[in-house]
Amino acid sequence: MKLAAALAAAAVFAVLPLLTSSNYVIGIGISALVFTTAAAALNLVYGFTGLLSFAQLGFWGIGGYAAALTVVGLGGSFWSGVVLAGVICGTIALVVGYPMLRTNRHAFVIATLTFALLATLIARDWVSLTRGPLGIPDLPAPEAFGRRFDTPRQFYWIAWAFAMAAIAFLFALCSSRIGRTLVAIKQNEPLVRAQGISPMPYKLAAFALSAAITGAAGGVYCFNLRIIDPTFLDFYYMQTFLIIVIIGGAGSFWGVIGAGIALSALPEALRFSEDLRMIIYGVILVVAMFVMPSGVAGWLRERRLARMREALR
Amino acid sequence: MSAILRVTDLRKSYSGIHALDGVSFDVEAGSITGLIGPNGSGKSTAIDCISGFQKLGGGKVVLGDADITGRPAHLIARAGLMRTFQTVRVYDRLSLADNLAIAAQQFDPATWIDEFLRTRRYRQAVEASEKRARQLVELIGLQRYYEAETGILSYGQKKLVALAAALMPHPKIVVLDEPVAGVNPSRIREIEVALQQLNQAGETFLIVEHNVQFITTLCHRVIVLEQGRKLTEGTAAEIHTDARVLEAYLGMTPEMAEAEMRGAA
Repeated sequence: MKLAAALAAAAVFAVLPLLTSSNYVIGIGISALVFTTAAAALNLVYGFTGLLSFAQLGFWGIGGYAAALTVVGLGGSFWSGVVLAGVICGTIALVVGYPMLRTNRHAFVIATLTFALLATLIARDWVSLTRGPLGIPDLPAPEAFGRRFDTPRQFYWIAWAFAMAAIAFLFALCSSRIGRTLVAIKQNEPLVRAQGISPMPYKLAAFALSAAITGAAGGVYCFNLRIIDPTFLDFYYMQTFLIIVIIGGAGSFWGVIGAGIALSALPEALRFSEDLRMIIYGVILVVAMFVMPSGVAGWLRERRLARMREALR
Repeated sequence: MSAILRVTDLRKSYSGIHALDGVSFDVEAGSITGLIGPNGSGKSTAIDCISGFQKLGGGKVVLGDADITGRPAHLIARAGLMRTFQTVRVYDRLSLADNLAIAAQQFDPATWIDEFLRTRRYRQAVEASEKRARQLVELIGLQRYYEAETGILSYGQKKLVALAAALMPHPKIVVLDEPVAGVNPSRIREIEVALQQLNQAGETFLIVEHNVQFITTLCHRVIVLEQGRKLTEGTAAEIHTDARVLEAYLGMTPEMAEAEMRGAA
């Protein structure tokens, strides 16, 4: 049922450029697809494995810069840039993830936050690599099969194909025994160990895969913007991913996908005020935590459980 | 009978306090062995050290032919020692079926590649695991909750789920940490019966428990700890009348214990 709904939504998204002539709507559609993918990747580490990772923001930025520099610095194609962004982020996640994951969960949060801030600093201050605050403008449009994906309308298909592939992969992962084991680790790590399963490889794999997907998403998104500069590591991206995951319901695969689509219009709606944007985001997060601490999916789940208790009485 | 678990000279100290001061005991294959002692006598520390949840300060633990001393917990489990926890641990947000499936997952040969390709090896592993799960669920009498999330179960029922999960991979020995603490007295009898049936089917148990009645009914052999040392060891009947045990453990004379037992029953 959920899968059918998801396929229907995917089909609707696929034909969106045929339904509207507005580039503004197309632009929101691209953001919706990319942000939902990044949020689904955050859901893998936070919702499923129980690791609140702010490093996603760092990987998003590193992925963006990696893709942009592959194209501008190394003369590679957009496609190789996105793949490289994923590979680089995955590799960095394996290296920094191992020591981070050996600490407890609270220290892990702080370590990932530090990582994100460090990435921001590098983007701004390592001028010889990132060109500092000026950023890298005029990123060329992707090309494939002799076609240029120049307009937002054309770029939309790339974002769509990327989001579908990444979300399908994450779905296959989350609904497998590996996904079930991640949920088990989140709920009761000592019990997992007592059942012969070493949590570390699972946590590290979740962290690295999530980083790779987030990095690739960042790579795709900066070519939508056609420029990358340190504001690409603005904390508001992290907040967007977090709000999607929390409101959708951490640990609920389709809850987060649904929230991603529904909430992606939010950054646009809030664009009227750059100054107030962060404050409004903060307020939304706090209110969501109060009203529905486990998100929409969690709230629905509670109702279902209550009915089940009734039935089994 | 031969010893399946052989613990020799187990030592553990926390900042100068000897929680375990050279404890040795054997658990015979096919037996139910009890480990009792007053609070702070080192029972929990002992099984945490044996199962790899705490680093041991010294000594040796042998499971079957394998020396498992100091191995990490998940490798000790893979060697065939499964344990439960004093404060019940189940995966509240997973179904009873999934709770049991995860417990067996590490012990079947199917890898994630098998799962992705749905190979015969994967299908057979899932089938075998499900068959075992159904048997155990029937034994603990929770058939109608098979698909339900374990979060909706009562504390006593969760203890049964934890027991079933520990049995899933056909372990060499199951270590139960206070299996009936906090369980409704009317249910204790059910757990006793289940454990006896499992034992007759060949399972070996090491049980840490405060409930003397429970231990003396079930156990073939009882080991008594006091202040990190083994006070004595013997059959349930011997322990029950041992004046040292009664004094150390219950702080009472044999006559008082007798009255207590009648009250508990």
